[in-house]
Amino acid sequence: MVFLEAAVVTLVIQQLVNGLALGAVYALFGVGFALILTKMGILNVAHGTFATWGALVAYFAVAELGLPFPLALAAGVLAAGIIGVLTDLVAFEPLRRRGAGTFAPIISSIGMWIVLLTVAQAVGGGSATSFPDGAIPAGPIRLGGLVILPAQLLNIAAALLVAFGLHLALARTRFGAAVRAISADPRSATIVGVNAARTLRVVAFTAAAIAGLAGVLAGLSSNNVSFDLGEALLLKGFAAVVVGGYGDIRGAALAGFLIGILEVVSAQYISSGFRDAITFGVLLVILVARPQGMFGERRLVRA
Amino acid sequence: MNLAAWNTTLQFAGVSALFALSIYASLWTGVLSLAPVFFGAVSAFTFGWATMTLGLTPVAALALGAVGGGLLGVLTAFLVLRLESHYLAMATIALVLIGRVLVINMEGFTGGVAGTLAPGDLGTWFWCLGCLGAAAYVLARLRGSRFGLAASAVREDPAVAQSLGISPRAVQLVGFTLSGVFGGVAGVLQASFLQFIGPDTFYTHLGFTTLAAVVLGGAYHWLGPIIGAVVFTALPELLRGPLGEFDSIVTGLLLVVIIVYLPRGLVDLRRFRLLRGRGKAVVSE
Repeated sequence: MVFLEAAVVTLVIQQLVNGLALGAVYALFGVGFALILTKMGILNVAHGTFATWGALVAYFAVAELGLPFPLALAAGVLAAGIIGVLTDLVAFEPLRRRGAGTFAPIISSIGMWIVLLTVAQAVGGGSATSFPDGAIPAGPIRLGGLVILPAQLLNIAAALLVAFGLHLALARTRFGAAVRAISADPRSATIVGVNAARTLRVVAFTAAAIAGLAGVLAGLSSNNVSFDLGEALLLKGFAAVVVGGYGDIRGAALAGFLIGILEVVSAQYISSGFRDAITFGVLLVILVARPQGMFGERRLVRA
Repeated sequence: MNLAAWNTTLQFAGVSALFALSIYASLWTGVLSLAPVFFGAVSAFTFGWATMTLGLTPVAALALGAVGGGLLGVLTAFLVLRLESHYLAMATIALVLIGRVLVINMEGFTGGVAGTLAPGDLGTWFWCLGCLGAAAYVLARLRGSRFGLAASAVREDPAVAQSLGISPRAVQLVGFTLSGVFGGVAGVLQASFLQFIGPDTFYTHLGFTTLAAVVLGGAYHWLGPIIGAVVFTALPELLRGPLGEFDSIVTGLLLVVIIVYLPRGLVDLRRFRLLRGRGKAVVSE
C-alpha cells in the first residue's frame, strides 16, 4: 500500500516534470510572441514560421554541415532573428511609417506567413525528420524514481533564463526603458531622443531569435523537425499570452508552463485525442471570463 | 485552362465570394474575424449529416445551414465581442482551430479524420449566383441605412460612435449575425460543390486566403470582397502553370504589397471620387 502510494506520487511528479519541459517550449515561444504583440502592437501570425526556420537551419547545420549542436543552435537562432528583422522591414515598417491601424499589420503578417511557410515546405520537404542521435546527450538522469532527459532540463533552463533575462532587460536597462517608451507613444519617445527605428529593429530580432530557439528546442525534444513545427507553437504561444495577460512577459512564461502541464496531465488522465481541445477550451474560457488574462489589468479606451 | 476548368474555378470563386462577404459583414463593423470558416464548417457538416442521415432535401438543409449559421453567429458574438481587437481576432482563429479538433473527434457526425460525403444537388450556378446575389442585395440595401452608417462609424472609431449614441456592441452583433448566415450558406455550397468534406476543408488556409481576397478587393464596399474573391481564386489557377507549387508565394507577397501600397483595396470609392476630381468634400467610406 505504501509502495503503491509512492509509485502514484512519483508518477504525478514525473508528469509534472514532463509538463514543465513541454511547457517550457511554449513559454519560450510565448515570451517572444508577447514581446512583439505588447511592445510593437503587432499580432504576428508569421511568428510560428520563425520557429520553423530556426529549427530547419539548425537541422541543416547539424545534419548537412556536421556542425556540433551548440553551434547549430546558434545558427538557427541567428537565422530566425535575421528573418524576423527582414519581415519587419518588408511587412511592418512601411505600415508603421504610414500610421496604419491595427488590422493592416495582421494582414501583412499573414502574407509573410504564407511566403515563409511555402518556402519552408519547399526547402525542408513535406515530410518530417529529426535531429540525428547524439546531438545532445540522450542518457536520462535518474533522480529517485524520476527520469529526466537532458533535453528537458535544457528546455526548462532556457525558458527560465530567457523569460527572466528579458524581463530584467525591459524593466531595468536603458534599452528596456526605450522599448517601453516607444510602446507607450512612439512620437513622444522620438522627441526625447529614443532612436525608434533602431530599437524596434532590436526588438524584432530578439523576438524572432527567441522563436528560433523555441523552434530548435521543440524539434529536439519532440524528435520532429518539419515545416509545420511552428504552427502548433504559434497556437500554444498565443494561448500562453492570452492566459498570462499582456503587460508582463513573466505572465506569458508562467502560462506557457501551465499549458504544458495541463496538456501532459490531460493526455494522461483524460484523453490524448482531446488534448488540443482542452488547451483551446481553456483559452476560450479565459478569453470570455477574464479577457485581460490571469495577471493582466484592464485598460481604458479613449476616443 | 479549358472551359470546364474555368467553369469549376469560377464556381469556387462564387463560394469564396460568399465567404469573403461573411468576413466583410463583421469587418464592416470593425471586427476582424475568421469565424466564418467555423460557421462554414459547422453548417457544411450539418448539411452532410442532415442530407445523409436525416434524409432532408438539400434545399431544406441549405435553409438549416443558413439559420444555424446565423444562430452560431449570435452565440459567437456574445462569446467574443467583449474582447479588444487583437484578442478578438485571435479568439476567432482559436475557434477555427477548435473546430478542426471537434471535426476530428466527433466521428459519428463528421466522419473524423477521413471526412464525409456531402451529397446534394446545390452545386450549380443557379444556387451559387442566387445566394451570392441575395447576400449582395442585403448588404447593398443596408449600406445607406441607419445601420450602415452606424457600422461605418463604429469601424472608424468605436469610442466616438459611442459618444454619438451608437452602441458598438449592438452593431457588431448584427454584423456577426449576418456573417454567420453568409458563412453558413457558403459552407453548405462549398460542401455540395466539393461533394466531400474533411477536417482540413475548413481550416486556417481557407480563412487566410479569404481574408486576403477581402483585403485585395477592398473592405470598404460590398463589391470589393466579391471582386477580390474572383481574382484570388482565378489568379493561383493562372499562376499554377508557370509557377507550380510556388503560386502561394505570389499570393503572400501580393497580400503584403497590397496592404502597403493599396491599403483600401481595388474597389475604393474614395479613390475613384478623388480621381474624378470633383470639388466635393470627400466623405470617409
